Amino acid sequence: MITLVLANIKMMARNRQAIFWALFFPLMLVVVFGLFDVNGVGSADVVVIDQSNGPKSELLKERLQEIGFLDVEFEEGGVSGAWGKVSDGDFGYLIVIPGLFDDPAVNSQVTLVYNTRNPDRNQLVDGAVRNLVSEIQALDGPVVPSLLLNTDVIDVPEVDYFDNVLLGLLGLGIMMNSIISIAVRISTFRNQAILKRLLVTPLPIWKFFAAEITAHVLLALVQAGIILSLGVFVFGGHVHGNILWVLAITVLGSVVFLNIGFILSAWAKSPAAASGMGNAVAMPMMFLAGTFFSTAALPWVLPEMSLVLPLTPMLAALRDVAIDSEPIWDTWPYLAALGGWAVVTALGAIKVFKF
Amino acid sequence: MISCAIMQSAVQVENLVKRYGTFTAVDGVTFAVERGEIFGILGPNGAGKTTTLEIIESLQKPTEGRVSVLGLDVQSNAAEVKARTGVQLQASAYYDYLNLTEILSLLGSFYPNKAKPADLLEQVDLSDKALSRIGELSGGQKQRFAVAASLVNNPELVILDEPTTGLDPQARRNLWSLIKEVNQRGVTIVLTTHSMDEAELLCKRLAIMDHGKLLVVGTPRDLIKRLEASYAVKLTTDRPMTMTQLESLSGKVEVFDSVVQDGSANGDVEVTENTYLLRLSNNPSALKTMLDEISKTGLGLENLQITPVTLEDVFLELTGTELRD
Repeated sequence: MITLVLANIKMMARNRQAIFWALFFPLMLVVVFGLFDVNGVGSADVVVIDQSNGPKSELLKERLQEIGFLDVEFEEGGVSGAWGKVSDGDFGYLIVIPGLFDDPAVNSQVTLVYNTRNPDRNQLVDGAVRNLVSEIQALDGPVVPSLLLNTDVIDVPEVDYFDNVLLGLLGLGIMMNSIISIAVRISTFRNQAILKRLLVTPLPIWKFFAAEITAHVLLALVQAGIILSLGVFVFGGHVHGNILWVLAITVLGSVVFLNIGFILSAWAKSPAAASGMGNAVAMPMMFLAGTFFSTAALPWVLPEMSLVLPLTPMLAALRDVAIDSEPIWDTWPYLAALGGWAVVTALGAIKVFKF
Repeated sequence: MISCAIMQSAVQVENLVKRYGTFTAVDGVTFAVERGEIFGILGPNGAGKTTTLEIIESLQKPTEGRVSVLGLDVQSNAAEVKARTGVQLQASAYYDYLNLTEILSLLGSFYPNKAKPADLLEQVDLSDKALSRIGELSGGQKQRFAVAASLVNNPELVILDEPTTGLDPQARRNLWSLIKEVNQRGVTIVLTTHSMDEAELLCKRLAIMDHGKLLVVGTPRDLIKRLEASYAVKLTTDRPMTMTQLESLSGKVEVFDSVVQDGSANGDVEVTENTYLLRLSNNPSALKTMLDEISKTGLGLENLQITPVTLEDVFLELTGTELRD
């Protein structure tokens, strides 16, 4: 028994690729989790339209920028366009400083526009803006705080954190299954000379890949059906949009992740190493692409960097279609990004794959 | 003449060279396999046998030279060559989660001309395992299944890379019968093996390779005839021979080897460190000359066996006795 245990330890130690990934992977997760400010509220993106352009409105804008959790941008355009973007969720908040804001004789109200999607953060932003406007208007004399801020709340369909996470879990499930399953499977086939056995048959290579991808995509669709059914029917989640569009995005995402799995399988020298490498690629993407938390909570340039990960456009497209009921063609920038990933990873797989 | 030979041959290998960087795995090999024969390729590990086979199977591209199979150039007609050829790889495995029938159906689906899985399993005596998975088979059954898998396309040529390696004597004999049966149906068979008795028993003709080169091609009988010695004498003396005494023997006969087995039993013969294996020429007086020389030494003869030289003697003479990796 002891001899067998020692022999197993030796064998594992000699599989250096597998041991590297096994050790590297948990370290990487520690780093990724460490990057998140999970205790913070995250930042709120605020667009300000200043129709006054006077000293008080300038002061208000300066003071808004000093509030730590507000990510303030200024726009020159019309109110209706910005209002629509808040309604769509592209902006979190819109502040309109009226033209007569700087006129002490006129009681002009600042307008704060937000949608109903994030009530906790709405309260926080509402309070902060209200206090700030009161403070600045009080410079000209006594004010009635309740009359200083007009809130325009846009009612959007009920979406809670779980709905977001449900779509995140769908993307995560497809990604994990596609990358790891294909990487381990192909690595196993190569180790057992099954790939070589197929090569001595007249089966065209493209048919082999097509069959693998098709089988895995079908599996991904079944997986998507199970995840969404469980989420909606058991845990009360919502899918407002067209389910067929959701499945179409699932297929495209699955193809991208399968290609990545093929690439990893070419580098992995054993199925164990393939599994480790698959996890090492998939798990950081799970957090960095905003599966569970908004990527806004990430520091430094990581929110921008997360945009280049293939899971990010997949989740964005899924959420736009499933939560915001957008038609799939309105998500074309995300689909184009996913399509680009599909082409790049397919070319990469063709280049590095070996039997 | 060459084109005529190609038409008649199942496999024609001409000046085949395969290099990996500076290492030459196959070095100018030329041979032909006739249709309907069982052709064996022998050689120590690393001799270039498997590389040669993989080029014939169009798994690898040659660095130089030309290979045709069933009259078709393998480079330009790979798909057709594959469609008409059956292959059992040296270390082939099959899908773990499919049963035997399913695996044969799947493999057969890759070919235009496919055999019925049930018929194939019956041929290799595995009908009762039709619904079993590969992991449930014994070593011999796995090898028999591998042969069945190589027949899924009713091939004209079957290539078997070390088909009996690791099998017990019963399983080996069973597989030999199977290979002969397949050959009797008109299928040409090319096989590699380390087993001399297998090569001698199965193969009509043999090629011996070493260090990437083809050393010799011929029938087992022709190859044995190539040796100057035509039979071997294993003798045991009552005391060890001195070097001088051995050298006196070698003047008349060839000292081939001494057998050192610490007095352990080997059949009816007590083999000790005083046992010597000598190869004698086919001169009728050679045996008498050897016995006369031993008589002069005053040593007693405890045992004497005379056997014909075997293919193994040919193989060892051509490839040497040095251990290979």
